[in-house]
Amino acid sequence: MGFKNFEGADEEFDLAQMEAETEEMLRLRYLNKDNAVFARTAGGFVSLDIAKGEKDEPEHYDRVRVVRSFPFTAPTTYISIRTTEEKSKEIGIIRDITKDVTKEVRAMLEEQMNLRYFTPVITKIHDIREEYGHAYWEVETTEGPCKFVIYMNSSSVVSLSDVRLMITDLDGNRFEIPDFTQLSAGELKKLDLFL
Amino acid sequence: MGKKDRKISAEKTTAGKLPKEIEIDLRDRGIAESDVLVSVRTDMNLACEFTPGWIIVTKTRLITATADPLAGEVHYFKGMETRKTRASDRNREWNFAEYDISDVKNTYIERSVSGGFLILVHKDKNDPEAEGEAETVAAVSNHCMGSATKVERICEKLAEGKEIDEDMLKDDEEEDYCPTCGTMYPNPDRKVCPKCMNKKSIFRRTIAYLKPYKWRILVMFLCYLATAALNIVWPYLNGVVLYRKVLGKDEKFLSFLSIEGNRYVTILLLIVLTMVMTKVTMQLVGIIQGVMTAKIVPRVVKTMRNDVFGAMGKLSINFFTSKQTGSLMTRVMSDSDEVSGFFIDGLPYFLINVFSIIAMAVVMFKLSVPLAIVALMFMPITFLVSWRMLPRLWHRYGRRHRATRSLNSKIHDNLSGARVVKAFGQESSEVGRFDKANEKVRSADLAVMNYDNKFSALYSAAENLASLMVYIVGAYLILIQKRFDFAVLITFAGYVGQMTGPMDFMSFFFRWFTNCMNSAQRMFEIIDAVPEIQEKEDAVSLDTIEGTIEMKGVTFGYEKNKPVLKNINMKVEGGHMLGIVGRSGAGKTTIVNLISRLYDPQEGTVTLDGVNLKDLSFKTLRGNVAMVSQETYMFMGTVAENIAYAKKDASRAEIIRAAVLASAHDFICRMPDGYDTIIGSSGRELSGGERQRISIARAILANPKILILDEATAAVDTETEQAIQQSINMLIKGRTTISIAHRLSTLRDADTLIVIDEGKIAEEGTHEELLAKKGVYYKLKELQTKALALKGIE
Repeated sequence: MGFKNFEGADEEFDLAQMEAETEEMLRLRYLNKDNAVFARTAGGFVSLDIAKGEKDEPEHYDRVRVVRSFPFTAPTTYISIRTTEEKSKEIGIIRDITKDVTKEVRAMLEEQMNLRYFTPVITKIHDIREEYGHAYWEVETTEGPCKFVIYMNSSSVVSLSDVRLMITDLDGNRFEIPDFTQLSAGELKKLDLFL
Repeated sequence: MGKKDRKISAEKTTAGKLPKEIEIDLRDRGIAESDVLVSVRTDMNLACEFTPGWIIVTKTRLITATADPLAGEVHYFKGMETRKTRASDRNREWNFAEYDISDVKNTYIERSVSGGFLILVHKDKNDPEAEGEAETVAAVSNHCMGSATKVERICEKLAEGKEIDEDMLKDDEEEDYCPTCGTMYPNPDRKVCPKCMNKKSIFRRTIAYLKPYKWRILVMFLCYLATAALNIVWPYLNGVVLYRKVLGKDEKFLSFLSIEGNRYVTILLLIVLTMVMTKVTMQLVGIIQGVMTAKIVPRVVKTMRNDVFGAMGKLSINFFTSKQTGSLMTRVMSDSDEVSGFFIDGLPYFLINVFSIIAMAVVMFKLSVPLAIVALMFMPITFLVSWRMLPRLWHRYGRRHRATRSLNSKIHDNLSGARVVKAFGQESSEVGRFDKANEKVRSADLAVMNYDNKFSALYSAAENLASLMVYIVGAYLILIQKRFDFAVLITFAGYVGQMTGPMDFMSFFFRWFTNCMNSAQRMFEIIDAVPEIQEKEDAVSLDTIEGTIEMKGVTFGYEKNKPVLKNINMKVEGGHMLGIVGRSGAGKTTIVNLISRLYDPQEGTVTLDGVNLKDLSFKTLRGNVAMVSQETYMFMGTVAENIAYAKKDASRAEIIRAAVLASAHDFICRMPDGYDTIIGSSGRELSGGERQRISIARAILANPKILILDEATAAVDTETEQAIQQSINMLIKGRTTISIAHRLSTLRDADTLIVIDEGKIAEEGTHEELLAKKGVYYKLKELQTKALALKGIE
C-alpha cells in the first residue's frame, strides 16, 4: 500500500541501489515484438511480459495502461506502456505501433486506446445558442445526437490545427470536429463565434 | 439503534427512482430494497455507446444495468439534462450484469480523456493479500463521473470492512438540479440557474443603482425630450413655415404674428433666426445631456464595481482558482460599463425614440395622408435592413476583436519570454508566429470593412429609395392632383430623413437590451454567490487559544471526485511543532489549506482546541493563524506597509523589531528609501530571499498562535536559508507550528513528523523514531545527507 517506489526501503541504505533507481527513472526503454509479449486477459485488459527485463530478470504486468504520447499529432507512434496505479510509471515505449509489433498486438493495443481516447466526432451542427456566458450545442455525432453546454471562453474550443477543433463541455467531455471546412455554410455560421 | 433507523431512512430516498424493470430484476435476484446501499446513474455501456444505465450496490453484490442503445436517441449532458430527459430510462430493454464484491481487493477508476471505467480487482484465489483477476464493471462519461467515484469509494470501504457513513450514501442527485425548471446547474458549486434567474428582478435591481441620481436622470430625460421635440419642429420650420407661409406670402400668418404690411424680409429674418436658435438649442441640450451622462455613468459604474469586488472578497478561495471564473472576473469589470451605459443612455433614448416616431407619424398624417403612407411604407425596409445586417456586422467586429486580442497576447507572450527567445535564437520563428496571428487580424479586418461597406450601401440605398419615392409621389400629388404645395413636400422629406435615425436605433435596441441583461446577470451572479466557506451565525469566538489542532478522518479533494487527502488523522498539541514531509503533489499543502480553512473537508473534521473549525468565528481563526509560504506575495506599497499587512496599526518600533527578528532590517536599511521603499508589482524588485524575509516579518508582527510554514525556505539559496532558519527558530517559540519542508534539516526541531504519500499518512513519529523505523523518512534523510554530501553538493 502506498509508497510503491520505496519497496525494500527497510534494508540498510544503499547508495548504489538509489543511484540505480535514479538511472532507471532517466532511461527510455523501447518495446517491440522481440522483447515484449502482450496478451489479452480474461477481464478484457492487456498483460505484458518482458522476458529479459532489468538485470535480465523477467518482468510481468497483469494489466498495463496504453497511452499515446502525441494523441493529436501522432496517434500511432510513441505509445507509452504504463503501470495502472494512480501514479503510473512507464514500463516502456513502442516507437511505432504499425511496425514494431504484430498485427494482433496492434489491434489489442488500439482497442485499449480507443476506449481511452473515446471522443464523439461532430458530423452536423443543428444549433449553437449563446446565453449568459454559456453556449448550448445541439449536434449530430458519430455516437448519436448530443446536446451539451460549454463555457464561453477560449479554452472550451481549442484549435488543434488550422481546421481541427476540440470542444470541451462543462464536465470536461470532449467532442471533436476533424475538419470544420467540411461543414456547410449554415453550420459554419453557427460555429463562426469560435473560429 | 437510533443510527440504524437513520440508515434506513437514507436508503428510502432511492426508492421509486429506479426503473420498474430494474426493480423487478433486483427482486428476482433476492435483493430487497433495504439491501441496496446505493444506486447511481451511468450514461454508457461497456462498448462506449451512450445509453442510460444504473449501478446498484449491496454489501456483497454489485449489479449493473445498461439499456439497449436506441438509434437516434439524443444524449443530454450537463446544462442540457433536465429531470424530463433523465426519464429516458423508463420502459427500456435492460442488460444486467452481476459482480461479487465480497472478495474485492481494490477498486479504481481508469480515467479516459472524457470519462472513465470502473474497475474491480478481486483477491487472488490462492493468496488473499495479492491482486487477482480484474474486471471492468461500468463506463461513464465525465457527466456521470460522480456516480462512478461514489461506487468506487463505497466498494473501497466495503473491502476494508469499514462502516460506511451516512454522508456517503446520501442521494445528492437532486441537489444539482434547479428546483424550478429541472435543468442541471452549469456549475454545481454555484447554484444559480441561468434560465430561471428572473429577468424582471435583474432589471429592477439594476434600476436601484440609478436611484441616487434620479434628479439628474430626470434632467437628462428632459434634454432628450427637448431634442425630440426640436427634431419634430425643425422640418416643420424648414418646410411648411418657410416655404408656404413666408415664401408663399401667407397674409394670415403675418397677422398671426401681428406684423403689419408686406414685410416679408423681416419675417424671413425672423424665421431664419428661429431656425438658427432651434439648432443652437439642440446643440446646447445635447451638451447638457452629455455632461449629465459623463457625471452619472462613472459613478454608477464605480458603485457596481465596488459591489462586485466586495462580493468577490467574501467568496471562498475555490472561486478564484476555478478557471472559468477567472475570465468571468475580467468580464464583470466591463459588464458594469455595459449595464450602466444601457440604463443611462439606451433606455431613455429608446423612450424618446418611440415618442418621436409616433409624434412624427401624427404630424405627417395631419399634413397629407397619402404621402404619409408612402413615407412610412419604407420605414420597415430600412428597419429590416439594419435589423438583419447589424448583428452580422457586430459578429464580424467581435471576430476582429478576438483576433486583435490574440495578437496582443502573442506580443505579450513574446515580450515576457524574451530571454528564452533570445537564448534559443528563435527571433525569426517568432516573427513567423506573429505573422500568422497578424494575418488573422488582417482578414478579420477585411471582413469587417467588406460588410460595413455592404451595409452602408444597402442602408443608404433603402433610405434614398424612401425619400425618392416621397418626392415622386409628392410631385405627382402636387402637379396632377394639386392636393398640396411644395412646402409640405419639403417638410415630408425632412421627416423621412429624421425618421431613419430612430428606426436605426430601434433595430439594435433589442440586442443591446439582451446584452445588458446578460451583463447584469453575470454581475448579480457574483454579488449573489454564496461562499462555500461561511461563518456560522452562532460561531464560537475564543479569547485565548491553546493552539491544539486535530484532524479526524479527513478526506478532501479540490474536485469532488478526486480526493487528494484520504482519511487523515493527526494531532498537534498547543505550542508543539509538526513537520510534514512528502513528495510534491502528495497533499502537504492541502493539509495546511484545511487548517487555515481555505477549504472545508468533505469528510471528517478539523478542530482547533476541540472546536470544529466550521463552528469557529473567522476572527478567532484568522486572527490566530498566519502562513509563510513559498509563494511570497508583495502588495503594492512600501516595505513598512507590507510588513504591517495583517496589523495595520503597528508602530514603527514594532515594524522594525519584526524586521530585525526576520533578519530583514539590514537589507531594508541598505535600500535608499529604507522602509519607505515602494515594492510590489510596479515597485522595486526584491530577490526571493528578501521577499521571504519580509513575509516572515509579516508573520512575526501578526503574532499568531498558530504558524504555518509552507516550504518557507524552498526558494532561497543555502546561505540565506540558514539566516532565515534562524529567524524562523525565533518565530516558532511558544507557537503551534506546522512546517512543510523538502529539506529535512529544517524539521530537525519538530516534535512530531508525518510522512504523507498519495494522500495518506505513511509514517508518523519523532525524528528518532522515524529513523529507527528505517522507513521512508530514514531513506529520505540518508539520501539528503549522504548522497548529496558524497557528491559534494552540501
